[in-house]
Amino acid sequence: MEMIDLKVALKQTGALTGRELKHWYRIKIQLVLAFVQPLLWLGLFGQAFRLDALAGGMGGGMPIELAFGGAPNYFSYMAVGMLTVIVLFTCTFSGLSIVWDRRFGFLNKLRVAPIPRGIIPMSRVLAAVTRALLQAMVVLVIAVAFLYVPGLVGLDITNSSFGAMDLLTMLGILLLLSLGFAAIFVAIALTITNQDVLMGVVNLLNLPIMFTSAALFPTAIMPDWLRSVANYNPLTFAADGLRQVCFENAVSIHSLGFDVLGLAVFSLIFVAIGIVVAIKVLKY
Amino acid sequence: MSAIIEVRDLVKVYNGSIRAVDGITFEVEEGEIFGFLGPNGAGKTTTISMITTLLGITEGAIKVGGHDVEKEPTEVRKVIGLVPQELTVDDDLTGRENMQLQADLYDVPRELAHERIEELLRLVDLKDAADRFVRTYSGGMRKRLELAEGLIHRPSVLFLDEPTLGLDVQTRAVMWEHIRKLKKESNMTVFLTTHYLEEADSLCDRIGIIDRGKIMALDSPTRLKENLGGDIIEMTVEGEGDFSNLLAQACNGECNPRDGNRYRIKVRNGELQIPRLLRSVTDQGGQVLSVSLTRPNLDQVFLEYTGRSLRDAEQSTVTNRGERMAQARQMARRR
Repeated sequence: MEMIDLKVALKQTGALTGRELKHWYRIKIQLVLAFVQPLLWLGLFGQAFRLDALAGGMGGGMPIELAFGGAPNYFSYMAVGMLTVIVLFTCTFSGLSIVWDRRFGFLNKLRVAPIPRGIIPMSRVLAAVTRALLQAMVVLVIAVAFLYVPGLVGLDITNSSFGAMDLLTMLGILLLLSLGFAAIFVAIALTITNQDVLMGVVNLLNLPIMFTSAALFPTAIMPDWLRSVANYNPLTFAADGLRQVCFENAVSIHSLGFDVLGLAVFSLIFVAIGIVVAIKVLKY
Repeated sequence: MSAIIEVRDLVKVYNGSIRAVDGITFEVEEGEIFGFLGPNGAGKTTTISMITTLLGITEGAIKVGGHDVEKEPTEVRKVIGLVPQELTVDDDLTGRENMQLQADLYDVPRELAHERIEELLRLVDLKDAADRFVRTYSGGMRKRLELAEGLIHRPSVLFLDEPTLGLDVQTRAVMWEHIRKLKKESNMTVFLTTHYLEEADSLCDRIGIIDRGKIMALDSPTRLKENLGGDIIEMTVEGEGDFSNLLAQACNGECNPRDGNRYRIKVRNGELQIPRLLRSVTDQGGQVLSVSLTRPNLDQVFLEYTGRSLRDAEQSTVTNRGERMAQARQMARRR
């Protein structure tokens, strides 16, 4: 095992992460799409699916706040969960560039350079994390702004003492979530060399991950077997944690500490797996 | 002079059965331009890939600058530069950004990188296009950028895998000029592979003729040609009997066994011998249908050592071994 010079490794990681981000923000249409998609989701899905009205209409015995984790309405519940979904969707394609780099020979250029192998996936992970956090923040701003549009429901942050620390906590939660997801999907991309197969795998995974979580629907209404899985989905940890930060008297699944710990373990495991896979796959 | 690359009994087997490189041993001296000449599928790229740490070795050992490629890959990577066969410069960055990225990956300090980037862009005539996106570059410009990238960390050995593949004649000449300039200015060792005879002939100090994974000959182009023993005269003769002994005696040269009615004679000062050969055949009742004279060149060297011309080798490998190798390589890359 050869020694790794940390300072040099950081410089190399920075250079490669910068390349990834340049590819992203230089293509205007990609930027537009990245922000239009969540807007559509919030605008159509969020405004149309008035699950709270439905719950009331069916005469369900549960008060809205209880059913929706302490959120004053379904839109507020769902908008917070949407932040985690945006993170998931951004990270699913984080590995696609590796497939292209392999095809065009750029990956060999990296492999022949004196850089630690782990830097190759880590730079993609960091770029995806940056994008995911930026997009999540835009969604947050849009969702809150809906409050001030007549006729629309907006994200009502009922936590009266909400401040900078809470915002940082939210960012921290989303950071851990995106680290873990980006690492999984980069590791998958390292082992799949055909972009069509990769797209198939990504599409196979992302919807089930989203629907077996508390991101958009309360797990309380799920059947027992599904709930027992869904409660330990990283998306659930993240959404559950975010709601505790945003809403007064939040009704949570886990404690905030447990959510953060769960996310930390999740991201640690998958980042480690990503690096091991990279060393194995990129050696020859 | 000392060896900067030492290759010992190198073997590469793909998929358990295809021997892409079949036990080769050679050394590359510091400061020379060394070339591998051979048809597609001969094992040139496979050898380069193993030397540059991109591919695992099945058997044998390689040292670059004193470092074992399998035990100290990072040390080897620091002292080599690779200009691969494919164009791998990043389309969505500018020429200068590509160079800067490469400089960062090789940990060239910012100030120094700045200087070198300017200098290298000038060397490969890309100064004016430096701030344009690479996707607007022509094939020749990309290749030149690729060459400049390979030099950013002043490697002691530069590997050029088919440096002029797919380039037009003028651009090829420009690339050769760049490579010569480099060698003159820096005394860098250059290891190139090519299947162009003129390229090997005009650039290389020494050439290894490689075919089917084996080195068939290794020497300077001049010596390889001299070893052929002179010019080649090919004749087609119609008439009774075998004229080969007669022809050999007439000019005091060597004549291959007849191939149908064709004869291949190896002789010095061929142009002076032709009249003599014609006369002797005519005197013995033969009728000469055609005569050709060829000066010694690398194609003949290739023919001499491999038993086929480079062009024939290209064609047969495309349909057979080359294709299998390409498949094997593809599979190796997928893993």
